[in-house]
Amino acid sequence: MLRITGGKVYDPAHGIHGVVKDICIADGKVVADVQGGRTIDATGMFVFPGGVDIHTHVAGAALNFARALTPENQRAATKFLHTADRRMGIGGPTPTTFATGYLYAGMGYTTVVEAAVPVLSAKHTHEELRDTPIVDKACCLLMANNELVLDLLETGEYERAKDVVAWMISAAKVYGVKAVNPGGVTAWKWGKDAKQVHEPVLGYNKVTPGVIVSNLARICDELGLPHPMHLHCNNLGTPGNVVTTLETMKMLEGSRAHMAHLQFHSYGGDDWHNMRSESVQLAEYFNAHPNLTCDAGAVLFGNAVTITADGPWQHLLYQLTGRKWGNLDVENETGCGIVPYTYKGSNLVNAVQWAVGLELLLLIDDPWRIFLTTDHPNGACFWRYPEIIHLLMNADFRRERVRALPEAALSRIVLADLDREYTLTEIAIITSAGPARALGMKNKGHLGIGADADLAIYNEKPDGELLFRYPRYVIKAGELAVEEGEIRTLSDGHEFVVQPRYNADIESYLRDRFQEQYTISFENYPVDLERVHGLQMAECSYQKTT
Amino acid sequence: MGGKVSCTLGEVKNRADLIIYWGGNPAECHPRHFTKYTIMQKGKFVPNGRKGRTMVLVDIRETPSVKAADIFLQVNPSKDFEAITALRAIVKGQRVDPALIEETGLKLEQLQDLADRMKRCKFGVIFFGMGLSMTRGKHMNSASVLTLAAEMNAFTKFVAMPMRGHGNVAGADMVLRWTTGYPFGVNLCRGFPRFNPGEFSTVDMLVRGDIDAAFVLGADPGATMPQPGIDTLARVPTIVLDPKVTHTSRLARVHITTAPTGISSPGTVYRMDEVPLPLRPALKSPYPSDEEIVRRIAEAVSKKPPWLPGALVAASEVA
Repeated sequence: MLRITGGKVYDPAHGIHGVVKDICIADGKVVADVQGGRTIDATGMFVFPGGVDIHTHVAGAALNFARALTPENQRAATKFLHTADRRMGIGGPTPTTFATGYLYAGMGYTTVVEAAVPVLSAKHTHEELRDTPIVDKACCLLMANNELVLDLLETGEYERAKDVVAWMISAAKVYGVKAVNPGGVTAWKWGKDAKQVHEPVLGYNKVTPGVIVSNLARICDELGLPHPMHLHCNNLGTPGNVVTTLETMKMLEGSRAHMAHLQFHSYGGDDWHNMRSESVQLAEYFNAHPNLTCDAGAVLFGNAVTITADGPWQHLLYQLTGRKWGNLDVENETGCGIVPYTYKGSNLVNAVQWAVGLELLLLIDDPWRIFLTTDHPNGACFWRYPEIIHLLMNADFRRERVRALPEAALSRIVLADLDREYTLTEIAIITSAGPARALGMKNKGHLGIGADADLAIYNEKPDGELLFRYPRYVIKAGELAVEEGEIRTLSDGHEFVVQPRYNADIESYLRDRFQEQYTISFENYPVDLERVHGLQMAECSYQKTT
Repeated sequence: MGGKVSCTLGEVKNRADLIIYWGGNPAECHPRHFTKYTIMQKGKFVPNGRKGRTMVLVDIRETPSVKAADIFLQVNPSKDFEAITALRAIVKGQRVDPALIEETGLKLEQLQDLADRMKRCKFGVIFFGMGLSMTRGKHMNSASVLTLAAEMNAFTKFVAMPMRGHGNVAGADMVLRWTTGYPFGVNLCRGFPRFNPGEFSTVDMLVRGDIDAAFVLGADPGATMPQPGIDTLARVPTIVLDPKVTHTSRLARVHITTAPTGISSPGTVYRMDEVPLPLRPALKSPYPSDEEIVRRIAEAVSKKPPWLPGALVAASEVA
């Protein structure tokens, strides 16, 4: 039992903005009152719901590939010494699993979503998540280049495609569906890409990226998944891709969708020399379409590692940078590419990218629909979120940073004209309450009675970065997890999984295709439920309101 | 720079029309490779199976794998790096010194023909074996072949994959990566992981005699290490966990017989393409699993007082 007293509470889900009130915790949940137990005096502190990262890459075959490919980053990164309370590890852009848990918790984040999991290596992802301590976890399953699904969309068998998706989700033990460069990764299996929303994908006559996203979004809604389709659009990172992004969004009218790392999809111009921000145009459309949520995918200058299922983009980035390139195509399902990358303030393209992430966060009016991410470790490392918070909360500081950009960048961005400053309530929304709601996690992101007792308590500090960098206390499931930067728990966290319903006949259909197209036995494909550590079954209870 | 451009084996089965084995003898060392994944399989986009695929074998000698190949290129021993470098140049349309090509034991026409086939194919793959990675040049050879595959993607779809074997070596590599950040050659003596192949690899630590105890699991270094390394194993307390008595067991202080993993105890094995597969035991064993032994040792060790004053004390105990 625990009572937190005297702190200014920010619980935007319940309209509480900096009110001094007690939070009582028993059995890992927020309760109305407790008698006895420990009391934490939070006078002069801010009490926030624990952070929720809706889109990050922290576990799985792709990240583990990146670790092997970039030992130079590990060498330079923060080391975590082995102690009786703590496993050893290494920070940096691709932290070891234990360090990932410590770094997230140390920043006040208590739930993370691994955004890209192939079915074929889901077993491996769950092994890594098991070794990611403290935080709760969930995964999204890569579906938009799954050839079994695409083949069914080609022949117009929507219902069967829906059963296949449901079966795959159940087999992989995941929480949601991810679409990455729909059709483009399939085309990449022949070294090509899918650049037009309405043109057929290589190898298909009817299936276009637009057909894939609209059908997958509908499938996610009809299966009642708590989180909508999580979408990485075609043409990521390329000049002029705002056209693709808008065309894609139009295909999604009438469905829910989460647009991942929108920053990477908001560019104008037609080549690298005249690339510019199109955040105004995109935000305008987005503001008018409440069926959509998004995360920023903001960029910060410095070292990053790009990791994505978007194989063709990574080949282009390899050719552009001349740096090392990792690629792993996954049979019938997806791909994965890795290229180390350094964002430089002096580079025009990078300067535009840096500005676009912030512009979207400032131009999209509803903080409940845009969330703080860097698409870790693509745009920047997750442990740099407080730097972005500072930029959002202080317009003068932001303008000062804009002045440091190359002269030529200034006419391509609008950041200097934006006066908005985030309030603490809005920070609580974009880091916790909003993503929890978009994920359909009813017990996360708020501090009402019955909520999971995940909290971050911060000392009052003069600026946002200092404030959010070092929580005074972090409480996870009612347990003191971090105290002044020291890890205080050995707990493991839970993993959220959904099991949507499907027609049982689908298994025999899949078995036949499987023998032809895969190289492992059908029986070895699903992940056993016992392999999911700290299993929390979530319900598929979303219902479309008309 | 190169990197590693690869895929899972099903992609090869479904798509590859050009399959190159370099420095390996799959017919004897990976006897199911041809039939399960590569030349003999009918694939989604290779409906004619063997007839739809071309196999090239590059090796220093004729092995039983030659029989399976459409084209055999015999390269001079220790000249793989030169041959790959020449091939990279030819692929890019650069002129190559004929003297250099002669050194490799191949003819310009042969390399030109190979380069043409590589550019013409729809999906090419190079499987490289220990004949490349463990001979003169070692990791330089692997790097050059991986770079060749990466560069080929400017022309067509191309991937490369090492022909890994030796039980679950890929699995050990995967676990080390997520726990330490590094794939092998990791040293934990300072309480955090450090990586330096050539310094911290097992063979180097053993040969230098830099260790004062050895714990050997699922390996037989007593049979394969250089003599100074074997001498170190005999000198220090060595503990072996193995289902059978090995060369290492004979020079160890302790041998603990364990159930054979995959036959009598469950687990996960990673294929050479890093696809995880569950192992379900078919037989019962009277012996405990490796996992149980390691867990029991770890429990016993954790009860011992910290060996370094002030170290490894729980923060809660300090408070």
